[in-house]
Amino acid sequence: MSADLPLQYDFSEDEERMRGILDETEYDTELGVALAKDAQKLIAGELSEAEFAARHHEAIIEEFETDERPLEALADGDLEEVDDDTDRKGLKDALSGFDPDDEQSRREVLKKSGAVAGVLSLGAWGTAESMAGGDDEEESGVAAADEDEEGRQMGMVIDLERCDGCIGCVDACREENNWSSGANWMYVLAYEDEGRDDEDFLIRPCQHCTNAPCDKVCPVNARHTREEDGLVLTDYDICIGCRYCQVACPYGVNYFQWGDPGEGMEAMSDEHRYDDRGRHVDGVPLKGTMGKCTFCPTRQDDPETRGSVACMEACDAMGMGAIHFGDLNDPESRPNQYLEERRAEVRTNGPHTDEDGVSPHSSTEEDDISTFKLLEDKGTDPNVIYIGNEPGPNAQQVDGPVSYEGRVGADRRKDVLDEGADAEANGNHESTTGVTRGDGHEH
Amino acid sequence: MAMSTRVSKDDILRPMRRTSTEYYYVLAAASVAIAIFAVAYIIQLQHGLIVTGLADWGSGGGVTWGLYIGAFIWWVGIAHGGIILSAAVRLIGLDRYKPVARLAELLTIGALTVAGLYIIVHMGRPDRVVTSIIPAFPWTVHTSPLVWDVTVITLYFVMTATYLALTIRYDVSRMREDLPDRFDPLYGLLLIGYSEREDEVIERMVWWLALAIIILAPLLLHGGVIPWLFALLPSMPGWFGAIQGPQFLTIALTSAIGGVIITAAIFRRVYGWEHIITDDVFKGLTMWLGLFVLLFVWLQLQQIIGGVYAAPVDQAAATEAKLSHPVYWTAIGLVLLALGYVFAQGVRPSIFSIERSLAASVAVLVGTLLEKIFFVVEGLLYPSFSLYDAAPGDYFPTWIEMASVTGTIAIVVVFFALVAKVIPVVELHAIEELQEGGK
Repeated sequence: MSADLPLQYDFSEDEERMRGILDETEYDTELGVALAKDAQKLIAGELSEAEFAARHHEAIIEEFETDERPLEALADGDLEEVDDDTDRKGLKDALSGFDPDDEQSRREVLKKSGAVAGVLSLGAWGTAESMAGGDDEEESGVAAADEDEEGRQMGMVIDLERCDGCIGCVDACREENNWSSGANWMYVLAYEDEGRDDEDFLIRPCQHCTNAPCDKVCPVNARHTREEDGLVLTDYDICIGCRYCQVACPYGVNYFQWGDPGEGMEAMSDEHRYDDRGRHVDGVPLKGTMGKCTFCPTRQDDPETRGSVACMEACDAMGMGAIHFGDLNDPESRPNQYLEERRAEVRTNGPHTDEDGVSPHSSTEEDDISTFKLLEDKGTDPNVIYIGNEPGPNAQQVDGPVSYEGRVGADRRKDVLDEGADAEANGNHESTTGVTRGDGHEH
Repeated sequence: MAMSTRVSKDDILRPMRRTSTEYYYVLAAASVAIAIFAVAYIIQLQHGLIVTGLADWGSGGGVTWGLYIGAFIWWVGIAHGGIILSAAVRLIGLDRYKPVARLAELLTIGALTVAGLYIIVHMGRPDRVVTSIIPAFPWTVHTSPLVWDVTVITLYFVMTATYLALTIRYDVSRMREDLPDRFDPLYGLLLIGYSEREDEVIERMVWWLALAIIILAPLLLHGGVIPWLFALLPSMPGWFGAIQGPQFLTIALTSAIGGVIITAAIFRRVYGWEHIITDDVFKGLTMWLGLFVLLFVWLQLQQIIGGVYAAPVDQAAATEAKLSHPVYWTAIGLVLLALGYVFAQGVRPSIFSIERSLAASVAVLVGTLLEKIFFVVEGLLYPSFSLYDAAPGDYFPTWIEMASVTGTIAIVVVFFALVAKVIPVVELHAIEELQEGGK
């Protein structure tokens, strides 16, 4: 663990670098180095708190006009009387509270430390930490505390390497939401890309972007982001069907409800259709309004079912385990845990760590596993994290192993729509007859 | 000015005094077109937007915005010219065009009305237009370009209508006895509180209104909120970018001048106004048409060069698709034909004729309508995220959508036909000036 490192860290190895850092401050480099070395000794127990306080007190006063190191001996006043036999209670307290594993205690010290301690002695410490790759403490420990205040942000980690294109998730999504034929809220693309022999899969739910363009452009606030958990939803009772959300979305995840949802909607209970705010946001949309993947909002309302979505259940049932849904702000959530596991797995078996048996200095752990967010450069801040290959700009969709026709309805919605208004009426769940494809997509 | 000596008040009263058989034919034909549009819209209300050729882009294949939005932009563009021309007449003393100023203002009102109609026609849930838009307005006006559009178009409509209502008082007050009696209550309404002392004040108010319109229309409307509907979306390479503002404005002005030329030519022909709307006016308008077409084509060139030389993958694909589509070249071809004519008559004035200018204007209007629809459709067909096998899909408007184009044109025709029977469509000021010029 990186936490043990401050004690083991050999300062001399890195003294030159340290000096470089100190030189950039306006303060005395020699004093800083001396302080840092003694701070090491203090922590290792080679030096008493009183000695440490006495050793540099005058120099510090000279340099900074005040000595604000968080040491009791300083507060006691008479430094001349300090010797080795002085009651070590203060030091013990300081050190016992100084468990380097405990972020809280360290932050406490940091907080109490004045400019001197912060810039100089602990500055050296911080450097040692980052050298050892201890950054993840910042991420998990500190960030988690902050994120508790942020609330939930539901999202997905999707392991594309585990997907075999069975489209069981699409099927389950339709079962759950009764969307019309071809309105593939959940969609799995099989594709081929330059430089790769095998076909890859891209599982494409709505990305539930934090900076969602669809939400921004909606003229009536029907498309909105639910505050409690960051789901991007459409209020079917408000939507005017202008379809600007679909125009603005870079991912093409929106599907307009061209015809009457009919039985599809009647089959759904009010509890399933209205979320805990009483807004009509779940399931198949009303005629003339916009629909898309919702991340099953009524499931998220109930603490019992929170963290479950139909597609993930189906994927798990198939034994694939490609979809991992949950609160991305919670380090204990399934997507974050899965990401951790996969990283750990790669660290153990992966190509990077045991290459030549030497790991010069492992940079960030993210490098160990290939993750990406879809079209991240569009600035949408999506909440779906993919593990696996990212489709390149010239990638082309190909036929997947399982056809959309029949089982989940249709691949291409336009084919259904071109059948006209009458086709739409039976374009619901059961009937997929009469759907023709104009291209070589049949299987 | 031999002709202008014959100008009299009677000339501009002629539409109200004489109604030809052809007038009824035109009304009847227009009514049929409107009726077809109405039937089409009722069918759409019954079955929903599925009766259009629209679909979902993405895995669905197709486009979600098409002819309705393209035609909407086209009409707003035409609406531009009218009032800008009229405002310019007042503001910088382009007196030459005063005889067509009111026709231009009326074109603005008519075109804006049908543009507004398109917003409704395009909606999946038109029943919610009031209940959904108004309550959300205070928030969405900060964020949604579509709401900016509705806001600015409304503002523009109010300003133009105010402008027209103010300037018409002068004419109606002086010609009231000659105007048809059956509209007396309307004239009474138009003249509420009128006294001759207000003329000067009105003149100043209208000047300021004209100034506001001149600033607002190009910067905010067609050089602003309308192109921003598209230009602010980074996901569609055919749309995104700063050039759409100027590009939209040049196309708008092109179609607007075309619209004014057609309207003026028809009125001149029907009511024998050769001495009022003189050849000189048409020559001038034709030159303006040429200038705006030139700018239009120049900005197209900018986009093409940028899109083929070393463009990003998505933009290159969008440009290539555009350049290989016959609709694009039909639109550009029509516009270039008009440009060729304007150049030719500039070099050799004998080439000019009203009929040819009229033909050039029709070419320009057809070209800009095609270009606008094509712009909307192509943008959606070629998204950045082009992985979908269904993208680009295809789109072809159904008769229901097409009926809206003929229907809205017919609405504007009927609007002019009716308004001409009620108020003078040429300003009395214009007549007075022509008379003074002649004496």
